[in-house]
Amino acid sequence: MTRYLELYWHFLIQRFKILMEYRLNFFIGSTSTAILQAASLAAIWVVMRQIPSLNGWSFYEVILVYGLLTMGESITHMFADNLWTVGWNYVRSGDFDRFLVRPIDPLFHLLADRFCHDGIGNLITGAVLVGVSMQQLGIAFSLLHIVYIIISVLSGGVIFIALNLITATSVFWIMESIPVTQMVFTMNEFAKYPLSIYHSSIRVLLTWIIPYGFVSFYPASYLLGRDVGALVWLSPFVALVFIIIAYRIWLFGLRHYSSTGS
Amino acid sequence: MTIIQVDRLSKIFKVQRKEPGLAGAVKALFLPKYEDKVAVNGISFSIDTGEVVGYIGVNGAGKSTTIKMLTGILVPSSGSVRVLGRDPHRERVANAREIGVVFGQRTQLWWDLAFIESLSLVAKIYQVPQARYKQLLDQFAETLELKELLNVPIRNMSLGQKMRAELAATLIHEPRVVYLDEPTIGLDLIVKEHIREFIKEQNRTRSTTVVLTTHDLGDIEELCKRVIIIDTGKLIYDGPIETIKERFGKYREITFETLSTPGHVDLPSGAEIILAEPRKISVRFDRTAVTASGVAAALMNQLEVKDFSLSEPDLASIIRQIYNGALNEERAA
Amino acid sequence: MIQSLRRDFSIYRAIAAMAAKTRLAYNMWVWADFVVTIVSMIVFVYFWRAVYAGTSTLSGLALSQTITYILLARLLSPLVETRTIFFFGFMIRQGQIAVEFTRPLDMQARIMTESFAELLVFLIQRLPLFLIAWLFFGLQLPSSPALWGAFFISLVLGQIVLFLFDWMFACLAFYVTETWGLSVVRVAAGSFFSGAIVPLVMMPDWLQNLAMSLPFAQAMAVPVSFLSGISTVADAPHIWLTQLIWLLVLLVLSRIVFGIAVRKVTVQGG
Repeated sequence: MTRYLELYWHFLIQRFKILMEYRLNFFIGSTSTAILQAASLAAIWVVMRQIPSLNGWSFYEVILVYGLLTMGESITHMFADNLWTVGWNYVRSGDFDRFLVRPIDPLFHLLADRFCHDGIGNLITGAVLVGVSMQQLGIAFSLLHIVYIIISVLSGGVIFIALNLITATSVFWIMESIPVTQMVFTMNEFAKYPLSIYHSSIRVLLTWIIPYGFVSFYPASYLLGRDVGALVWLSPFVALVFIIIAYRIWLFGLRHYSSTGS
Repeated sequence: MTIIQVDRLSKIFKVQRKEPGLAGAVKALFLPKYEDKVAVNGISFSIDTGEVVGYIGVNGAGKSTTIKMLTGILVPSSGSVRVLGRDPHRERVANAREIGVVFGQRTQLWWDLAFIESLSLVAKIYQVPQARYKQLLDQFAETLELKELLNVPIRNMSLGQKMRAELAATLIHEPRVVYLDEPTIGLDLIVKEHIREFIKEQNRTRSTTVVLTTHDLGDIEELCKRVIIIDTGKLIYDGPIETIKERFGKYREITFETLSTPGHVDLPSGAEIILAEPRKISVRFDRTAVTASGVAAALMNQLEVKDFSLSEPDLASIIRQIYNGALNEERAA
Repeated sequence: MIQSLRRDFSIYRAIAAMAAKTRLAYNMWVWADFVVTIVSMIVFVYFWRAVYAGTSTLSGLALSQTITYILLARLLSPLVETRTIFFFGFMIRQGQIAVEFTRPLDMQARIMTESFAELLVFLIQRLPLFLIAWLFFGLQLPSSPALWGAFFISLVLGQIVLFLFDWMFACLAFYVTETWGLSVVRVAAGSFFSGAIVPLVMMPDWLQNLAMSLPFAQAMAVPVSFLSGISTVADAPHIWLTQLIWLLVLLVLSRIVFGIAVRKVTVQGG
């Protein structure tokens, strides 16, 4: 385990060496995602300044939800970006076979091969949104809250990675991971706003089946003192269950690849 | 000592049969039809430590499928593969630690990283001890002339430089078996010589077993004492190169340049025309049946010959003959 | 003269057909696009219903108008996307600039034909979604043929405007290799300022003015305004004229900028 952590560190260093070569690109990449967020936020601001609340959620409460989701998403963006490119960049070209002849876990290799600096913009933006909204809403920056936020964001990140991993496994059948991954990933749009604005069927979908609700809505509810029951404590467990399922599915996909080739 | 053991190895793929046109495309979507494609058909062979074996065949003959099964990438449909005493797929990691693979056109190094950085990352992946890494790096820098390339990223290297770097990266963890797929493709002659020398030396000093798949028969002649030929999934020859040359080396070719266009030409038995152009005619003859001068004389009696050349049997034409079924003819004879 | 025009036209038609077939080949992508669009439409409808919970109009728009506007913007979203920048980046990396210029057809016209053919196919692909939006999500479309006519003409003009703008923007690919980051910025600006996320009329004045000074609004918000009841047939001539001016100015500018960028690359050796 420590060996993999150490190895990831080496991959990371080499990746940064490459990125530093193209400093302008690094800057553009990191800020581009922040700009994308800015567009969505500007839209929310434009809308909410005209109304008192969204289904009982004030502007800063909505921002808190949005910020938590952004932070969770940034984690998969930074550490698991290759799940999007595994089709056209690795499997189609045959470069994926290289991972199978090296003495390390192929999934590890795939993910470690590309730390995506674009995600840093998202992480920072999300953190700023969470911080600002907490301050505006008078939520204490207590140790308990900080720890809770860190765990929620990490769990949220793992949920994102798990869902992306499940869908990216489709690459072993259709040589491309993007279409299927896009279909599930796009559901996270729902979780950008409080789940209470949606029909109950959507809420159920986003809680138990494609659990993006645990990335933003439930942690936000806890911090805001809104009662949603025990769900506010479940994020880490949902993350754990889903990542285990996802890894199993990935292994199944690998087995299929080994028997059918590309 | 046997290091690679392959027994009745087979690989069958299910391929979807698509009919042409729009109707065919729609049908393929809803009622896909599959048929079996046998890529590898019951191949058996064994390779001992320190051998350098050429594994050749036309494109689509099943070479890369076999190599994928040997390296653990693909699972066989039937039969068995054992490398270093292991099933390379089931014990993927343990096997991977002791093998090296060069995939001709594709580099294992990172495109934008300086070569030395790529190499050190590879060394870390294979857990090469720091001291040993330094030693080997110095050695390779010497024998492969890598000193000026250390700080160059792969994307800036020429083909020859890339391959030298690739070899260093492949051997940095001192694998016991190395699979080379088209290692000299696209390289100029001098670089090819260099690479072949290097491979020979590694084989000599470390007893590294080498399995070489290539279309370059120069590679085969220089490096391999033994050749396995595969055609449409089946093994059609497994033996020393010398034997091939002997058995099929009985054919020679003479090419005549004539002043006029030959009509009908009488040839002594054992000779046949293999090429007839307006002012050029090539004759292939069995030198155990008729001599070169016999053929030349016969032809010069009938035509006005401006120039002629006699060619030795080269491995390329011999292999061509084997592909064209010379083996079967031989067996029938 | 007529002969050569006819020949050029048939060539362009063939190019368009090929681009269309390429689009249709990717059916998994079609499904993905389907799901993604439906999800975002659902999100939008619920969002806006929640927004309108306490009021019947916002910035002069009723809920039904806003929903029609937003749904249309979503369904027509490919119209504000662009692949020109990736295409330029690819061309430069492959060193293909010289090749492109040896082709007999005008490069800009050719790329535009391909783009529009692809767009057309993409939109036809989305027709089932229009149907679903109309049946289930409350999309309300006008029945007046005059309005539809105004919409189509405005749409074509606006799309050409945007294409020409993107032609200039994509020239950045000659100077910076991080095309992905640039395209993200372009998409962000494009979707926001085209009114695809929020109707432009809801924005504060300074933001609206900024939006109208950018070409994205011309490509989406302006044409769609005919269908969502914001613009009337009487407004059409004025709107078309504005778009036409945009078009002519950008046509000249884009070709100049492109020429400069290409010269820079070929002089330096690309």
